[in-house]
Amino acid sequence: MNVTLLLFGTFGFLLFIGTPIVVALGASALTVYLVTGQDFSSLIVLAYNAVDSFPIMALPAFILSGALMGDAGISRRLIGVAEALAGRAAGGLGAAAILACMFFGAVSGSGPATTAAISMLLLPAMMDRGYSPAYAGAVTASAGGLGIIIPPSIPMVIYGVTANESISKLFLAGVVPGILLAGTLLVVNYIRARRLGYRSSEDDLPSKSIWRVLREAIWSLLAPVVILGGIYTGMFTPTEAAVVAVFYALFVGVVIHRESSWAGIRHALESTTWLTGRVLIIMFAATAFGRVLVENRIPAAIASEAIKLTDELALIWLVVIAFLIILGMFMETLAMILIVTPVLLPVMTEFGVDPIHFGVVLVACCLIGFSTPPLGENMFIASSIAKQSIEAISVKALPCVIAMIATAILLAMVPELSLWFPSLLGF
Amino acid sequence: MGAMKNVEDYACRFLLTLFVTLLFVQVLMRELLGWGLPWIEELSRFAFVWFAFLGAAHAAKLNAHNRVQVHLKMLPPKVYNTVIIFADLLWVAFNVAMVWKSWEVITGLLEFPYISPALEWSMAYIYLIFPISFTLMSIRTLQVDYQRLFKGEQIVDADQAEIEEISKSAVGKS
Repeated sequence: MNVTLLLFGTFGFLLFIGTPIVVALGASALTVYLVTGQDFSSLIVLAYNAVDSFPIMALPAFILSGALMGDAGISRRLIGVAEALAGRAAGGLGAAAILACMFFGAVSGSGPATTAAISMLLLPAMMDRGYSPAYAGAVTASAGGLGIIIPPSIPMVIYGVTANESISKLFLAGVVPGILLAGTLLVVNYIRARRLGYRSSEDDLPSKSIWRVLREAIWSLLAPVVILGGIYTGMFTPTEAAVVAVFYALFVGVVIHRESSWAGIRHALESTTWLTGRVLIIMFAATAFGRVLVENRIPAAIASEAIKLTDELALIWLVVIAFLIILGMFMETLAMILIVTPVLLPVMTEFGVDPIHFGVVLVACCLIGFSTPPLGENMFIASSIAKQSIEAISVKALPCVIAMIATAILLAMVPELSLWFPSLLGF
Repeated sequence: MGAMKNVEDYACRFLLTLFVTLLFVQVLMRELLGWGLPWIEELSRFAFVWFAFLGAAHAAKLNAHNRVQVHLKMLPPKVYNTVIIFADLLWVAFNVAMVWKSWEVITGLLEFPYISPALEWSMAYIYLIFPISFTLMSIRTLQVDYQRLFKGEQIVDADQAEIEEISKSAVGKS
């Protein structure tokens, strides 16, 4: 138990005084090595092995393809489709924003880029048609996270590599929960918009016919077909699919839409660099941290303590979900997955939870963290575009967040929601 | 001097383009010709490892490494700067330990070479990324802190900068 205290104590202290997460993880593992007198050259080998893996190469490739798709005009056309589909109903534009986030999730690994693109195009439109800016911001900020559970998903790639689970299967497991979460938001939006009287009148609707919008967006709509179709026909691995997506985005942007620019491509390369660099070095440190945990059988000890308190799985899930959502308020998504997985996954499997199921619930909780302050990236973007304070948007987003938490609890209690679809396709 | 300022950035853009292209060529060859070259995968993985660790140094320069600092941001700026600089010195100490150990591993690998299967390169050279990246990361961290402390510059982290840029362009378009 002394090692446990040393490890978590150093980790907590370093985190508290503001060292980067990578240092808090790495240095606390290092401290254990030093105190117990072990040689830490294994850390270097670990650093190499943690990053030298083919599946994890999907991470930079998906980030890059997402950035390039924005630049190529693929994203803009998808939003057009969502707007045309959801125009008429009460809160039609709010629904369009939610649908757009879903489509978007299906082409990119997502991230705040989704909220940014959608807020930029739909927020001004919503405000024009009488939505209160805070409400409009709240809807886009809450929906912006949907992309991380709908395949292809960058957090799922990270979880799959950390937990050593099939990324293809995780992607499939996210489909039903993703639709469920989107459905939850659509219902909340419909009810509130009806009460507030947000509806589109005939002349507000985009003048283009739905068929024209669809025809213009054909290359955008083909993107998920190429990416996911390639993976599930067995043509490519997820990593290769991500690489193909990069070239697909370039092809569409340069040859078909002619919207890609040098500046856009360079910017995409640069942001991929720092986003990947900071995650992968955490990946190394988290692996080292996880190694120390396993060597000292800490997850098993936590599990046996937890069993002493209760053997009610439902109760454990509630505690875990609360913990994850609170953590998600303060920590960046990918970093959180890297830290939480080695500690919690062994505990949960001890209780008989399927690792794929746990991954889906974990990502769902991260999604909620995305749209909760103080560290909800989506909130910041929506707030600066809608010119509303974070507080105002948070209050308006509260019903969405509560509904999403309820859905996350449902996902935890009914494993079939995650596991049925992959098993249908033979995974 | 100008090139040194962004050396990781240039190197990373090159490596990223390289391994994404290599993997794409490999997929095309497999699907169209039915065969592949083993060295392509190996070279792309080496490029990827170098890309990842140089990218971490670039992230340090942009002040992009994730910290939990909601509670620290409530402190007055002077106190905040002092705490962060203390934290960064611990970071540099960690980096120094890693540089020192990685040299040990590399000299070991030079003495008892471990050869990569396809390209037949000595892994000692691949492992050179560790001393390079952890050294660069320390330099970049200290650079950022120097600006913070002596130039009194308001240091914006990369996420914040990205969000501001997105919002600015959105306001411009609408």
